[in-house]
Amino acid sequence: MAFYDRMMSIDRRIIFLSVGLAVAIPIIVPLGFPVQISEETMNFYREMAALKPGDIILLSFDYEGDVMAELNPMAVAVLKHAFSRGIKVIAITTYAGGTGIAERLLTEAANRYGKTYGVDYVFLGYNPDWSGTMLRLGESFKATYPTDQYGKSVYEIPIMKNVETYRDIALVVSISGSALSEYWAIWAGGRYGARVISGNTAIQAILIYPYYKAGQIPGFLGGLKGAAEYEKLINAPGMGIRGMDAQSVAHALMLAFILVGNVGYFLFRRAKRREQK
Amino acid sequence: MKRQGPIILAFAIGMLMLIQFFTPAAFFKEAYNTILDWKQVVLGFTFILGTWSLIRYHYIKINRKRENWQYSYVTLAGLAITVLAALIWKTAEGPYPWLFNNVQVPMQSTMFSLLAFFVASASYRAFRARTFHATLLLIAGALVMLGRVPIGSYLSGSIFGVKISLVAISDWVLNVPNAAAKRGIMIGVGLGMTATAIKIILGIEQTYLGKTD
Repeated sequence: MAFYDRMMSIDRRIIFLSVGLAVAIPIIVPLGFPVQISEETMNFYREMAALKPGDIILLSFDYEGDVMAELNPMAVAVLKHAFSRGIKVIAITTYAGGTGIAERLLTEAANRYGKTYGVDYVFLGYNPDWSGTMLRLGESFKATYPTDQYGKSVYEIPIMKNVETYRDIALVVSISGSALSEYWAIWAGGRYGARVISGNTAIQAILIYPYYKAGQIPGFLGGLKGAAEYEKLINAPGMGIRGMDAQSVAHALMLAFILVGNVGYFLFRRAKRREQK
Repeated sequence: MKRQGPIILAFAIGMLMLIQFFTPAAFFKEAYNTILDWKQVVLGFTFILGTWSLIRYHYIKINRKRENWQYSYVTLAGLAITVLAALIWKTAEGPYPWLFNNVQVPMQSTMFSLLAFFVASASYRAFRARTFHATLLLIAGALVMLGRVPIGSYLSGSIFGVKISLVAISDWVLNVPNAAAKRGIMIGVGLGMTATAIKIILGIEQTYLGKTD
Protein backbone atom coordinates (compact mmCIF):
# COMPACT_ATOMS: atom_id res chain seq x y z
CA MET A 1 0.00 0.00 0.00
CA ALA A 2 1.40 3.39 -1.04
CA PHE A 3 2.00 6.03 1.64
CA TYR A 4 -0.76 8.27 0.28
CA ASP A 5 -3.18 5.35 0.43
CA ARG A 6 -2.40 4.96 4.11
CA MET A 7 -2.96 8.68 4.62
CA MET A 8 -6.37 8.42 2.97
CA SER A 9 -7.55 5.30 4.77
CA ILE A 10 -6.76 5.63 8.44
CA ASP A 11 -8.61 2.93 10.37
CA ARG A 12 -11.79 4.34 11.92
CA ARG A 13 -10.87 2.70 15.26
CA ILE A 14 -7.75 4.92 15.39
CA ILE A 15 -9.96 7.98 14.72
CA PHE A 16 -12.47 6.92 17.40
CA LEU A 17 -9.72 6.31 19.96
CA SER A 18 -8.02 9.62 19.14
CA VAL A 19 -11.31 11.56 19.49
CA GLY A 20 -12.04 9.78 22.80
CA LEU A 21 -8.62 10.74 24.17
CA ALA A 22 -8.83 14.29 22.76
CA VAL A 23 -12.07 14.85 24.65
CA ALA A 24 -11.24 12.95 27.86
CA ILE A 25 -7.70 14.14 28.59
CA PRO A 26 -8.37 17.93 28.61
CA ILE A 27 -11.36 17.36 30.92
CA ILE A 28 -9.19 15.37 33.34
CA VAL A 29 -6.15 17.66 32.94
CA PRO A 30 -7.43 21.19 32.07
CA LEU A 31 -5.23 23.08 29.64
CA GLY A 32 -6.61 26.52 30.46
CA PHE A 33 -7.05 27.95 26.97
CA PRO A 34 -8.12 31.60 27.19
CA VAL A 35 -11.80 32.28 26.52
CA GLN A 36 -12.39 35.30 24.29
CA ILE A 37 -15.78 36.99 24.62
CA SER A 38 -17.80 37.20 21.39
CA GLU A 39 -20.16 40.06 20.58
CA GLU A 40 -23.26 37.80 20.74
CA THR A 41 -22.40 36.60 24.23
CA MET A 42 -21.58 40.12 25.41
CA ASN A 43 -25.00 41.26 24.23
CA PHE A 44 -26.68 38.29 25.94
CA TYR A 45 -24.88 39.27 29.15
CA ARG A 46 -25.90 42.93 28.73
CA GLU A 47 -29.57 41.92 28.40
CA MET A 48 -29.35 39.93 31.64
CA ALA A 49 -27.27 42.57 33.41
CA ALA A 50 -29.79 45.29 32.51
CA LEU A 51 -32.48 43.60 34.60
CA LYS A 52 -33.28 45.02 38.01
CA PRO A 53 -33.76 42.99 41.22
CA GLY A 54 -37.39 41.86 41.36
CA ASP A 55 -37.72 41.65 37.56
CA ILE A 56 -39.13 38.38 36.28
CA ILE A 57 -37.65 36.32 33.44
CA LEU A 58 -39.32 33.44 31.62
CA LEU A 59 -36.75 30.67 31.27
CA SER A 60 -37.76 28.01 28.76
CA PHE A 61 -35.89 24.70 28.86
CA ASP A 62 -36.32 23.80 25.19
CA TYR A 63 -34.19 20.67 25.24
CA GLU A 64 -33.80 17.12 26.51
CA GLY A 65 -30.99 14.94 27.79
CA ASP A 66 -29.30 14.48 24.42
CA VAL A 67 -27.91 18.03 24.30
CA MET A 68 -27.63 18.73 28.02
CA ALA A 69 -23.82 18.59 27.92
CA GLU A 70 -23.91 21.67 25.72
CA LEU A 71 -26.96 23.45 27.13
CA ASN A 72 -26.94 22.68 30.86
CA PRO A 73 -23.92 24.98 31.44
CA MET A 74 -25.93 27.83 29.85
CA ALA A 75 -29.05 27.17 31.92
CA VAL A 76 -26.98 26.88 35.09
CA ALA A 77 -25.16 30.14 34.34
CA VAL A 78 -28.44 31.97 33.60
CA LEU A 79 -29.91 30.75 36.91
CA LYS A 80 -26.76 31.74 38.81
CA HIS A 81 -26.76 35.19 37.21
CA ALA A 82 -30.47 35.68 37.87
CA PHE A 83 -30.60 34.39 41.44
CA SER A 84 -27.39 36.17 42.48
CA ARG A 85 -28.99 39.48 41.41
CA GLY A 86 -32.43 38.94 42.90
CA ILE A 87 -34.11 38.33 39.55
CA LYS A 88 -37.13 36.03 39.70
CA VAL A 89 -37.55 33.07 37.38
CA ILE A 90 -40.64 31.49 35.84
CA ALA A 91 -39.48 28.26 34.24
CA ILE A 92 -41.25 26.10 31.68
CA THR A 93 -40.22 23.34 29.31
CA THR A 94 -41.43 22.57 25.81
CA TYR A 95 -39.96 19.06 25.87
CA ALA A 96 -41.28 16.14 27.92
CA GLY A 97 -37.71 15.16 28.79
CA GLY A 98 -36.94 18.72 29.82
CA THR A 99 -39.01 18.39 32.98
CA GLY A 100 -36.43 16.36 34.89
CA ILE A 101 -33.58 18.60 33.73
CA ALA A 102 -35.39 21.82 34.67
CA GLU A 103 -36.42 20.49 38.09
CA ARG A 104 -32.87 19.44 38.93
CA LEU A 105 -31.17 22.65 37.77
CA LEU A 106 -33.76 24.91 39.40
CA THR A 107 -33.56 23.08 42.72
CA GLU A 108 -29.74 23.07 42.74
CA ALA A 109 -29.51 26.79 41.91
CA ALA A 110 -32.28 27.72 44.36
CA ASN A 111 -30.61 25.78 47.19
CA ARG A 112 -27.28 27.44 46.44
CA TYR A 113 -28.73 30.96 46.58
CA GLY A 114 -31.34 30.28 49.27
CA LYS A 115 -34.32 30.98 47.02
CA THR A 116 -37.88 30.06 47.92
CA TYR A 117 -40.13 28.12 45.57
CA GLY A 118 -43.19 30.11 44.58
CA VAL A 119 -41.69 33.41 45.72
CA ASP A 120 -38.39 33.64 43.84
CA TYR A 121 -39.01 31.01 41.21
CA VAL A 122 -41.65 28.64 39.93
CA PHE A 123 -41.68 25.70 37.56
CA LEU A 124 -44.85 25.60 35.48
CA GLY A 125 -43.87 22.32 33.83
CA TYR A 126 -44.36 20.86 30.41
CA ASN A 127 -47.00 21.70 27.86
CA PRO A 128 -47.14 19.41 24.81
CA ASP A 129 -48.13 22.17 22.38
CA TRP A 130 -45.09 24.44 22.12
CA SER A 131 -46.52 26.74 19.44
CA GLY A 132 -49.84 27.07 21.27
CA THR A 133 -47.95 27.73 24.50
CA MET A 134 -45.87 30.54 23.02
CA LEU A 135 -48.96 32.21 21.57
CA ARG A 136 -51.29 31.60 24.53
CA LEU A 137 -48.75 33.02 27.01
CA GLY A 138 -49.11 36.28 25.11
CA GLU A 139 -52.79 36.30 26.02
CA SER A 140 -52.71 34.80 29.50
CA PHE A 141 -50.08 32.99 31.54
CA LYS A 142 -52.67 31.70 33.99
CA ALA A 143 -54.93 30.26 31.28
CA THR A 144 -51.96 28.53 29.64
CA TYR A 145 -50.70 27.10 32.91
CA PRO A 146 -53.58 26.93 35.42
CA THR A 147 -51.31 24.94 37.77
CA ASP A 148 -47.59 24.57 38.29
CA GLN A 149 -45.66 21.32 37.72
CA TYR A 150 -46.83 19.99 41.11
CA GLY A 151 -50.53 20.72 40.64
CA LYS A 152 -50.70 23.90 42.72
CA SER A 153 -53.00 26.60 41.33
CA VAL A 154 -51.00 29.49 39.87
CA TYR A 155 -53.42 31.87 41.64
CA GLU A 156 -51.91 30.67 44.95
CA ILE A 157 -48.29 31.18 43.83
CA PRO A 158 -46.95 34.62 44.90
CA ILE A 159 -44.55 35.09 41.95
CA MET A 160 -47.47 34.63 39.53
CA LYS A 161 -49.66 37.24 41.24
CA ASN A 162 -48.91 40.11 38.86
CA VAL A 163 -48.00 38.08 35.81
CA GLU A 164 -50.67 38.14 33.12
CA THR A 165 -48.89 38.27 29.76
CA TYR A 166 -45.43 38.84 28.28
CA ARG A 167 -45.81 42.49 29.25
CA ASP A 168 -45.10 41.46 32.83
CA ILE A 169 -41.98 39.55 31.88
CA ALA A 170 -38.75 41.51 31.56
CA LEU A 171 -36.99 38.94 29.38
CA VAL A 172 -37.68 35.59 27.72
CA VAL A 173 -34.67 33.26 27.77
CA SER A 174 -34.90 30.20 25.54
CA ILE A 175 -32.26 27.54 26.01
CA SER A 176 -32.76 25.39 22.96
CA GLY A 177 -31.32 22.49 21.02
CA SER A 178 -33.82 22.96 18.19
CA ALA A 179 -35.50 25.73 16.19
CA LEU A 180 -37.66 26.77 19.16
CA SER A 181 -35.58 29.86 19.94
CA GLU A 182 -36.48 31.11 16.48
CA TYR A 183 -40.17 30.57 17.21
CA TRP A 184 -39.89 32.39 20.54
CA ALA A 185 -38.48 35.32 18.56
CA ILE A 186 -41.21 35.09 15.92
CA TRP A 187 -44.25 34.57 18.16
CA ALA A 188 -43.39 35.87 21.62
CA GLY A 189 -41.15 38.60 20.20
CA GLY A 190 -42.75 39.42 16.86
CA ARG A 191 -46.40 39.15 17.81
CA TYR A 192 -46.37 40.11 21.48
CA GLY A 193 -43.29 42.29 21.76
CA ALA A 194 -41.47 40.14 24.31
CA ARG A 195 -37.71 40.62 24.50
CA VAL A 196 -36.12 37.28 23.63
CA ILE A 197 -32.55 36.08 24.07
CA SER A 198 -31.37 32.53 23.58
CA GLY A 199 -28.79 29.88 24.30
CA ASN A 200 -28.34 27.35 21.51
CA THR A 201 -26.34 24.32 20.56
CA ALA A 202 -23.45 25.20 18.23
CA ILE A 203 -25.23 23.70 15.24
CA GLN A 204 -28.44 25.60 15.98
CA ALA A 205 -26.62 28.86 16.73
CA ILE A 206 -25.73 29.17 13.05
CA LEU A 207 -29.44 29.59 12.31
CA ILE A 208 -29.84 32.35 14.92
CA TYR A 209 -27.59 34.85 13.13
CA PRO A 210 -30.32 36.34 10.88
CA TYR A 211 -32.47 37.03 13.97
CA TYR A 212 -29.48 38.42 15.80
CA LYS A 213 -28.48 40.71 12.95
CA ALA A 214 -32.09 41.93 12.68
CA GLY A 215 -32.26 42.60 16.43
CA GLN A 216 -35.07 40.07 16.96
CA ILE A 217 -32.75 38.12 19.26
CA PRO A 218 -30.49 40.83 20.71
CA GLY A 219 -28.00 38.37 22.18
CA PHE A 220 -27.35 34.64 22.20
CA LEU A 221 -24.98 32.01 23.47
CA GLY A 222 -23.64 29.79 20.70
CA GLY A 223 -22.72 26.29 21.80
CA LEU A 224 -20.41 25.40 24.64
CA LYS A 225 -18.20 28.34 23.65
CA GLY A 226 -21.06 30.72 24.38
CA ALA A 227 -21.64 29.03 27.73
CA ALA A 228 -17.94 29.33 28.59
CA GLU A 229 -17.87 33.02 27.64
CA TYR A 230 -20.96 33.75 29.72
CA GLU A 231 -19.52 31.83 32.69
CA LYS A 232 -16.41 34.00 32.39
CA LEU A 233 -18.48 37.21 32.24
CA ILE A 234 -20.46 36.35 35.38
CA ASN A 235 -17.32 35.03 37.06
CA ALA A 236 -18.81 31.60 37.68
CA PRO A 237 -16.60 29.04 35.91
CA GLY A 238 -18.36 25.76 35.30
CA MET A 239 -18.65 22.96 32.78
CA GLY A 240 -18.64 25.43 29.89
CA ILE A 241 -15.11 26.63 30.56
CA ARG A 242 -13.90 23.11 31.39
CA GLY A 243 -15.42 21.75 28.19
CA MET A 244 -13.74 24.35 25.99
CA ASP A 245 -10.33 22.71 26.34
CA ALA A 246 -11.80 19.39 25.19
CA GLN A 247 -13.62 21.07 22.31
CA SER A 248 -10.48 22.95 21.23
CA VAL A 249 -8.37 19.80 21.15
CA ALA A 250 -11.14 17.77 19.44
CA HIS A 251 -11.59 20.43 16.72
CA ALA A 252 -7.82 20.64 16.16
CA LEU A 253 -7.62 16.86 15.96
CA MET A 254 -10.47 16.65 13.44
CA LEU A 255 -8.78 19.27 11.29
CA ALA A 256 -5.50 17.38 11.53
CA PHE A 257 -7.22 14.23 10.25
CA ILE A 258 -8.86 16.21 7.43
CA LEU A 259 -5.47 17.72 6.55
CA VAL A 260 -3.80 14.29 6.49
CA GLY A 261 -6.59 12.97 4.26
CA ASN A 262 -6.23 15.90 1.85
CA VAL A 263 -2.44 15.70 1.69
CA GLY A 264 -2.83 12.01 0.88
CA TYR A 265 -5.39 12.89 -1.78
CA PHE A 266 -3.06 15.43 -3.44
CA LEU A 267 -0.16 12.96 -3.41
CA PHE A 268 -2.48 10.35 -4.93
CA ARG A 269 -3.57 12.75 -7.70
CA ARG A 270 0.05 13.69 -8.44
CA ALA A 271 1.04 10.03 -8.64
CA LYS A 272 -1.91 9.36 -10.99
CA ARG A 273 -0.91 12.24 -13.25
CA ARG A 274 2.66 10.97 -13.42
CA GLU A 275 1.40 7.50 -14.29
CA GLN A 276 -0.71 8.93 -17.11
CA LYS A 277 2.29 10.83 -18.54
CA MET B 1 -69.85 15.45 2.55
CA LYS B 2 -67.06 13.26 3.87
CA ARG B 3 -64.56 15.46 2.05
CA GLN B 4 -66.55 18.68 1.87
CA GLY B 5 -67.07 18.85 5.65
CA PRO B 6 -63.37 19.08 6.57
CA ILE B 7 -62.72 21.50 3.66
CA ILE B 8 -65.51 23.82 4.87
CA LEU B 9 -64.19 23.54 8.45
CA ALA B 10 -60.61 24.33 7.31
CA PHE B 11 -61.90 27.33 5.35
CA ALA B 12 -63.96 28.66 8.28
CA ILE B 13 -61.21 28.23 10.90
CA GLY B 14 -58.52 29.48 8.49
CA MET B 15 -60.49 32.63 7.68
CA LEU B 16 -61.33 33.16 11.36
CA MET B 17 -57.66 32.99 12.34
CA LEU B 18 -56.72 35.28 9.47
CA ILE B 19 -59.36 37.89 10.35
CA GLN B 20 -58.67 37.83 14.09
CA PHE B 21 -55.03 38.71 13.45
CA PHE B 22 -56.07 42.06 11.98
CA THR B 23 -59.17 42.68 14.12
CA PRO B 24 -59.16 43.93 17.71
CA ALA B 25 -62.82 42.90 18.31
CA ALA B 26 -63.38 41.01 21.57
CA PHE B 27 -65.25 38.16 19.86
CA PHE B 28 -62.29 37.32 17.61
CA LYS B 29 -59.88 37.49 20.53
CA GLU B 30 -62.10 35.12 22.50
CA ALA B 31 -62.34 32.73 19.54
CA TYR B 32 -58.56 32.86 19.06
CA ASN B 33 -57.94 32.00 22.72
CA THR B 34 -60.49 29.17 22.61
CA ILE B 35 -58.85 27.68 19.53
CA LEU B 36 -55.42 27.91 21.19
CA ASP B 37 -56.84 26.09 24.24
CA TRP B 38 -58.38 23.40 22.03
CA LYS B 39 -55.08 23.04 20.20
CA GLN B 40 -53.28 22.30 23.47
CA VAL B 41 -55.92 19.74 24.49
CA VAL B 42 -55.81 18.04 21.07
CA LEU B 43 -52.00 17.92 21.26
CA GLY B 44 -52.31 16.26 24.67
CA PHE B 45 -54.49 13.55 23.18
CA THR B 46 -51.88 12.79 20.54
CA PHE B 47 -49.80 11.28 23.35
CA ILE B 48 -52.52 8.67 23.89
CA LEU B 49 -52.55 7.96 20.17
CA GLY B 50 -48.75 7.79 20.11
CA THR B 51 -48.61 5.39 23.07
CA TRP B 52 -51.30 3.17 21.53
CA SER B 53 -49.46 3.19 18.20
CA LEU B 54 -46.17 2.24 19.90
CA ILE B 55 -47.78 -0.67 21.80
CA ARG B 56 -49.58 -1.92 18.68
CA TYR B 57 -46.46 -1.72 16.51
CA HIS B 58 -44.30 -3.68 18.95
CA TYR B 59 -47.07 -6.17 19.76
CA ILE B 60 -47.38 -7.01 16.05
CA LYS B 61 -43.60 -7.18 15.72
CA ILE B 62 -43.35 -9.69 18.57
CA ASN B 63 -46.37 -11.64 17.37
CA ARG B 64 -45.00 -12.04 13.83
CA LYS B 65 -41.42 -12.57 15.01
CA ARG B 66 -40.08 -9.83 12.74
CA GLU B 67 -36.37 -9.01 12.64
CA ASN B 68 -34.99 -8.05 16.10
CA TRP B 69 -38.41 -8.71 17.67
CA GLN B 70 -36.71 -9.46 21.01
CA TYR B 71 -35.88 -5.76 21.47
CA SER B 72 -39.58 -4.92 21.36
CA TYR B 73 -39.92 -6.57 24.78
CA VAL B 74 -37.36 -4.06 26.09
CA THR B 75 -39.31 -1.14 24.60
CA LEU B 76 -42.63 -2.31 26.02
CA ALA B 77 -41.08 -3.12 29.41
CA GLY B 78 -39.47 0.34 29.51
CA LEU B 79 -42.80 1.97 28.73
CA ALA B 80 -44.68 -0.09 31.32
CA ILE B 81 -42.09 0.46 34.08
CA THR B 82 -41.93 4.24 33.48
CA VAL B 83 -45.72 4.61 33.46
CA LEU B 84 -46.12 2.46 36.58
CA ALA B 85 -43.33 4.35 38.38
CA ALA B 86 -45.13 7.63 37.65
CA LEU B 87 -48.55 6.28 38.64
CA ILE B 88 -47.57 4.46 41.86
CA TRP B 89 -45.03 6.98 43.19
CA LYS B 90 -44.91 10.77 42.70
CA THR B 91 -43.25 12.13 39.58
CA ALA B 92 -41.05 14.49 41.63
CA GLU B 93 -39.48 11.79 43.81
CA GLY B 94 -38.96 8.03 43.94
CA PRO B 95 -38.24 5.71 41.00
CA TYR B 96 -39.61 8.00 38.28
CA PRO B 97 -36.98 10.78 38.48
CA TRP B 98 -34.38 8.08 39.19
CA LEU B 99 -35.27 6.38 35.91
CA PHE B 100 -35.09 9.72 34.13
CA ASN B 101 -31.75 10.78 35.59
CA ASN B 102 -30.04 7.38 35.52
CA VAL B 103 -31.50 5.70 32.44
CA GLN B 104 -33.05 8.14 29.98
CA VAL B 105 -30.58 11.02 30.31
CA PRO B 106 -27.39 8.88 30.10
CA MET B 107 -28.83 6.96 27.13
CA GLN B 108 -29.80 10.14 25.27
CA SER B 109 -26.42 11.74 26.06
CA THR B 110 -24.57 8.62 24.92
CA MET B 111 -26.45 8.48 21.63
CA PHE B 112 -25.74 12.14 20.96
CA SER B 113 -22.09 12.04 21.99
CA LEU B 114 -21.49 9.13 19.60
CA LEU B 115 -22.03 11.73 16.89
CA ALA B 116 -18.64 13.27 17.69
CA PHE B 117 -16.93 9.99 16.75
CA PHE B 118 -18.94 9.47 13.58
CA VAL B 119 -18.61 13.10 12.50
CA ALA B 120 -14.82 12.90 12.98
CA SER B 121 -14.62 9.72 10.92
CA ALA B 122 -17.05 10.96 8.23
CA SER B 123 -15.42 14.39 7.87
CA TYR B 124 -12.00 12.77 7.50
CA ARG B 125 -13.33 10.62 4.66
CA ALA B 126 -15.66 13.15 2.98
CA PHE B 127 -13.89 16.51 3.33
CA ARG B 128 -11.60 16.24 0.32
CA ALA B 129 -10.70 19.19 -1.90
CA ARG B 130 -11.90 17.41 -5.05
CA THR B 131 -13.63 20.40 -6.68
CA PHE B 132 -13.65 24.18 -6.28
CA HIS B 133 -16.91 24.09 -4.30
CA ALA B 134 -15.66 21.28 -2.06
CA THR B 135 -12.47 23.28 -1.40
CA LEU B 136 -14.51 26.37 -0.54
CA LEU B 137 -16.63 24.35 1.90
CA LEU B 138 -13.52 22.79 3.38
CA ILE B 139 -11.82 26.16 3.95
CA ALA B 140 -14.97 27.77 5.43
CA GLY B 141 -15.53 24.74 7.67
CA ALA B 142 -11.94 24.73 8.89
CA LEU B 143 -11.97 28.48 9.61
CA VAL B 144 -15.23 28.28 11.58
CA MET B 145 -14.16 25.15 13.46
CA LEU B 146 -10.95 26.83 14.61
CA GLY B 147 -12.48 30.27 15.08
CA ARG B 148 -15.22 28.94 17.37
CA VAL B 149 -12.82 27.47 19.95
CA PRO B 150 -10.22 29.22 22.14
CA ILE B 151 -7.34 27.58 20.26
CA GLY B 152 -8.33 29.78 17.30
CA SER B 153 -7.18 32.93 19.09
CA TYR B 154 -3.66 31.44 19.26
CA LEU B 155 -3.63 31.04 15.48
CA SER B 156 -4.12 34.73 14.78
CA GLY B 157 -1.26 36.94 13.70
CA SER B 158 -0.10 39.40 11.09
CA ILE B 159 1.16 38.80 7.59
CA PHE B 160 3.05 41.66 5.90
CA GLY B 161 1.75 43.99 8.57
CA VAL B 162 -1.89 43.01 8.02
CA LYS B 163 -3.52 41.71 11.19
CA ILE B 164 -5.35 38.45 10.55
CA SER B 165 -7.65 37.11 13.24
CA LEU B 166 -9.10 33.65 12.79
CA VAL B 167 -11.90 34.55 15.21
CA ALA B 168 -12.79 37.64 13.15
CA ILE B 169 -12.80 35.60 9.91
CA SER B 170 -15.00 32.96 11.53
CA ASP B 171 -17.38 35.67 12.81
CA TRP B 172 -17.54 37.20 9.33
CA VAL B 173 -18.38 33.81 7.74
CA LEU B 174 -21.21 33.33 10.26
CA ASN B 175 -22.52 36.90 10.20
CA VAL B 176 -22.38 37.59 6.49
CA PRO B 177 -22.52 34.62 4.05
CA ASN B 178 -24.20 32.29 6.56
CA ALA B 179 -26.83 34.84 7.66
CA ALA B 180 -27.49 35.87 4.05
CA ALA B 181 -28.00 32.26 2.92
CA LYS B 182 -30.27 31.53 5.88
CA ARG B 183 -32.30 34.67 5.21
CA GLY B 184 -32.81 33.59 1.60
CA ILE B 185 -33.98 30.16 2.73
CA MET B 186 -36.27 31.69 5.37
CA ILE B 187 -37.90 34.03 2.86
CA GLY B 188 -38.43 31.11 0.49
CA VAL B 189 -39.89 28.94 3.25
CA GLY B 190 -42.10 31.80 4.42
CA LEU B 191 -43.52 32.37 0.96
CA GLY B 192 -44.03 28.63 0.53
CA MET B 193 -45.86 28.37 3.85
CA THR B 194 -48.09 31.32 2.98
CA ALA B 195 -48.93 29.81 -0.42
CA THR B 196 -49.67 26.40 1.15
CA ALA B 197 -51.84 27.98 3.87
CA ILE B 198 -53.88 29.88 1.26
CA LYS B 199 -54.26 26.69 -0.79
CA ILE B 200 -55.48 24.76 2.28
CA ILE B 201 -57.94 27.51 3.28
CA LEU B 202 -59.33 27.65 -0.25
CA GLY B 203 -59.56 23.86 -0.50
CA ILE B 204 -57.05 23.58 -3.36
CA GLU B 205 -54.56 21.61 -1.27
CA GLN B 206 -56.32 18.50 0.11
CA THR B 207 -53.50 16.06 0.85
CA TYR B 208 -54.01 16.61 4.61
CA LEU B 209 -57.32 14.75 4.23
CA GLY B 210 -55.49 11.55 3.40
CA LYS B 211 -55.69 9.40 0.28
CA THR B 212 -57.69 10.68 -2.67
CA ASP B 213 -60.11 8.31 -4.36
